[in-house]
Amino acid sequence: MDGTVPAPTASNGTSFPAPDAAGETVAAIAQAQTISADEIALYDRQIRLWGVQAQEKIRTANILIVSMKALANEAAKNLVLSGIGSLTIVDSEVVTEDDLCSQFFISEADLGKNRAQAAAPQIQKLNPRVNVKALTGNILLQGPDFYNPYDVVIATDLDFTTLTTINAATRLSNTPFYAAGAHGFYGYIFADLISHDYNIERDKPNMETLIRPESATRSIISVSTKKESGKTIEMVTKRELYSPLLLANSSPLPPEYLRNRRKLKLVSPLLTCLRALWDYQKESGATLPSHQHADLHRFTTLATEKHKEFQLPADTLKSEFLRSFLQNLGSELAPVTAFLGGQLAQDVINVLGKRLQPIQNLLLFNGEESSAPVYALHPIFDVPILLQAPAVNGSGQINID
Amino acid sequence: MGRDRYPKQSLGSLYSRIKDSRVLMVGAGGIGCELLKNLVLTGFGEIHIVDLDTIDLSNLNRQFLFRHEHIKKSKALVAKESAGRFNPNVKIEAHHANIKDPQFNVDYFKSFAVVFNALDNLEARRHVNKMCLAADVALVESGTTGFNGQVSVIKKGKTECYDCTHKATPKSFPVCTIRSTPSQPIHCIVWGKSYLLTEIFGTSEDDSPELDHSEDSENRKELEKLRQESQALKTIRQSMGSEDFPRLVFNKVFKEDIERLRSMEEMWKTRKAPHALDYDGLSQEALGSGSAIAQQDQVTWTLAENFSVFVDSIRRLSNRLEDLRASTEAGNAPPILSFDKDDVDTLDFVAATANLRSYIFGIEMKSKFDIKQMAGNIIPAIATTNAMTAGLAVLQGFKIMRDELDKAKTVFLNPGKGLTERATLPEPPRAPNPDCPVCSVAQTRLIVDTSRATLNDLVEDFLKLQMGYGEEFSVNSDAGTLYDPELDDNLSKKFPELGVNGDSFITIIDEEDENPRVNLVLAISDQSLPEDSKPIHLPEKLSIARKPKQTPAPPETNGNGAVTNGAAKRKRDVNEAELEDELIRKRGKVVEEPSKGLQNGDSIILDDSADGAIVIDDD
Repeated sequence: MDGTVPAPTASNGTSFPAPDAAGETVAAIAQAQTISADEIALYDRQIRLWGVQAQEKIRTANILIVSMKALANEAAKNLVLSGIGSLTIVDSEVVTEDDLCSQFFISEADLGKNRAQAAAPQIQKLNPRVNVKALTGNILLQGPDFYNPYDVVIATDLDFTTLTTINAATRLSNTPFYAAGAHGFYGYIFADLISHDYNIERDKPNMETLIRPESATRSIISVSTKKESGKTIEMVTKRELYSPLLLANSSPLPPEYLRNRRKLKLVSPLLTCLRALWDYQKESGATLPSHQHADLHRFTTLATEKHKEFQLPADTLKSEFLRSFLQNLGSELAPVTAFLGGQLAQDVINVLGKRLQPIQNLLLFNGEESSAPVYALHPIFDVPILLQAPAVNGSGQINID
Repeated sequence: MGRDRYPKQSLGSLYSRIKDSRVLMVGAGGIGCELLKNLVLTGFGEIHIVDLDTIDLSNLNRQFLFRHEHIKKSKALVAKESAGRFNPNVKIEAHHANIKDPQFNVDYFKSFAVVFNALDNLEARRHVNKMCLAADVALVESGTTGFNGQVSVIKKGKTECYDCTHKATPKSFPVCTIRSTPSQPIHCIVWGKSYLLTEIFGTSEDDSPELDHSEDSENRKELEKLRQESQALKTIRQSMGSEDFPRLVFNKVFKEDIERLRSMEEMWKTRKAPHALDYDGLSQEALGSGSAIAQQDQVTWTLAENFSVFVDSIRRLSNRLEDLRASTEAGNAPPILSFDKDDVDTLDFVAATANLRSYIFGIEMKSKFDIKQMAGNIIPAIATTNAMTAGLAVLQGFKIMRDELDKAKTVFLNPGKGLTERATLPEPPRAPNPDCPVCSVAQTRLIVDTSRATLNDLVEDFLKLQMGYGEEFSVNSDAGTLYDPELDDNLSKKFPELGVNGDSFITIIDEEDENPRVNLVLAISDQSLPEDSKPIHLPEKLSIARKPKQTPAPPETNGNGAVTNGAAKRKRDVNEAELEDELIRKRGKVVEEPSKGLQNGDSIILDDSADGAIVIDDD
């Protein structure tokens, strides 16, 4: 199956082609059929982990990845291997020599080509059953309707403004959204799943499981039991509520941190640096601070400010770390993008299968420490976020009143 | 060179060391494909790959360097082809071979800056551990199971080695549980696989590793009866190929033997007694169902369907064995069939017979899919866990190459609830276990001219004279004891006569009562030495440590009243305590060889010691 879609200039001035009606129908028919014996054989080792039902949810999933650098390479590899229904990559950039450092879907022969179109054929070869498409236009020209067909939207290695623009659109189209990025030894994954229900199964515990909130964002919404192999299994449905990136970026650490000096001391300075970077991008328009003295000075000032806003002790933001973070900006290191692409893809797979706790909501990775702390950044209102959740009507659409 | 910008930017001076380095990767499967990709993209100058395996369809959900057209080809060779394209500046050498082959000797290991393990079994890990200790080369060890993964660094004298901590061996079951009183599906599966299939189509051995004979003395009478049953089955085996063969086998194991068991009334006082099956009755019932049901592996077959599959599979296997026999030359060993989870006929046979036996004992029957996993020791595996683990492995490799071993970490993935707190659990590497039989030994290379040197040269000249050993010690090779004060027959023999060649290991065990030395492991390197010099030469200075004194440690409490076993007392804050608890839970989860039982149990063993205190052994 040819993974790339030709990019004629449509009358709307973008390079997005009109939908390929015939192709969509074929794909839809193929995916409407239930999982075949061949697929069960191919996916045997993963079906033994998450079950045929989860695999069936994965195989009809339609995923969008925006921007195709090393982290996206890794996430795409993992998602395609797992057998998603279709993967669409959007990138308006062309392949440069720097891209060859840590990306494996492209080679010297692709220099100068559009990044999405160059990578798509290699991605397709990983799993012919997945419908791989490449789009070359500017994502910022797309409105909320563009995101409607997708089950999950992943935006990688983009500046803060682009990320929040995409996130605003995915909120309106009610699509789960991930932002992720890598800078050399450091990286992050942010999740805005709006409202996500997932199921867990466990041996029925002695104490009754109550239907009630478990945290500021998570609550148990249903409990049932079944008998299997002579044991009583409890099936629990939980709901996690999320915040969009724009709000998360101005939110404090949760109360359990603010009350606890010991916990605050252990918070990674990477959190401060990432927020400083995003604020820097908001105010300067430029993507990354350069090595110019003025830029470095501005960034350091921002970082010190943010660190204070987080109420973190001053001595945990060391200049050594700031130097290291700045040195790594813009770089791509294979073992780090491998970790992030793996964790990101796994979260998406769990979301599709509605099993296991997803990232809530900002995961940071420090490749020098091999640490991956997760911080829940949500605005604090007088009323807990749980009761702020917009009502979801019977067809799963969010009512915005 | 364009590909250098980012590695240079992030790695600084480390990058030129990496470009000039040689590294070894053992294994090119799930972790290996991901690891190789990371090593190639980062720009390690020369990468060696060793893997003996070939590519299978079930690998393709995660071993992304392989495609459909590569099935049955060598993993090492295809991995090199595919990954080589990611960076033409890297040199890759691939060996389709077993890492235990003699060509991969201590000198070979010594030629690498770092060794990375990407293995899936305990035996190979032990071997590589031993070689890396002998070569004094840092080893990055890793493993994954499902969503769990871990990485650790092994460096002789500095960190724990692979054998410093106890490794769970595969589970075995008492013979009587398998042959007389099963209570779980796994017991019936082991029966079908290790007893019935073997008795009829294999060589009947009494020592399948899954059967534990240590209770032998208690049940002697029962064991004698079981032996007689096996004998009777061997007789029936001679009717293989006849129309009646399925019925004969069926009536023996599912009727006669069951009726005999049932007659042992004491056995069933507290257990559900088994009920024999009737061949003709089931034959009738099964008339409707064809043997095509065998292909339905997701559903649990009915009793009649299991019967159909039994009859059909035993015929298929009989025909195959007859064909094999016909084509075997006279004088050669008679051919046999043995279980292979990917051999449809043996799997169908084991599935059907296990289910029939389960039914007899009132145990729930299982689908072929589930039975394949239990009988075949299949570990669920996905791309993402391997990707994360391999990434962490190379990150530890950077620490090693920077000579910052103390900054390297042992890291566990922390899936599930972890995604609300921390996705990894890194901890500093632990110090070597002073009682470790593998690494807390003295080790050195010994150059021996095996054409001249005798055992006496080793014992008198080298050990007693040069190294100062007393009278009480033994010299041991892989084959056994070569010398001790009571065994001096071999002293005049030359090394090759004793089975010791170049690249062998000899262990010297000091048996003195007073302050004995730790074991000394000599890696023999065979070289011609000039006639006028000694035939044994010690290339590097060696001082041998003494065994630590064995004083029993007083039991320590951890403040909760529970007695902890030997763990160093240190102040821990709440976070550390939580972290340590999570680590204790995690340590059991990455399994090299899956237990034959169903649970990948935690390795916390609650052991009631004599005085009633509960000792938590957190290996």
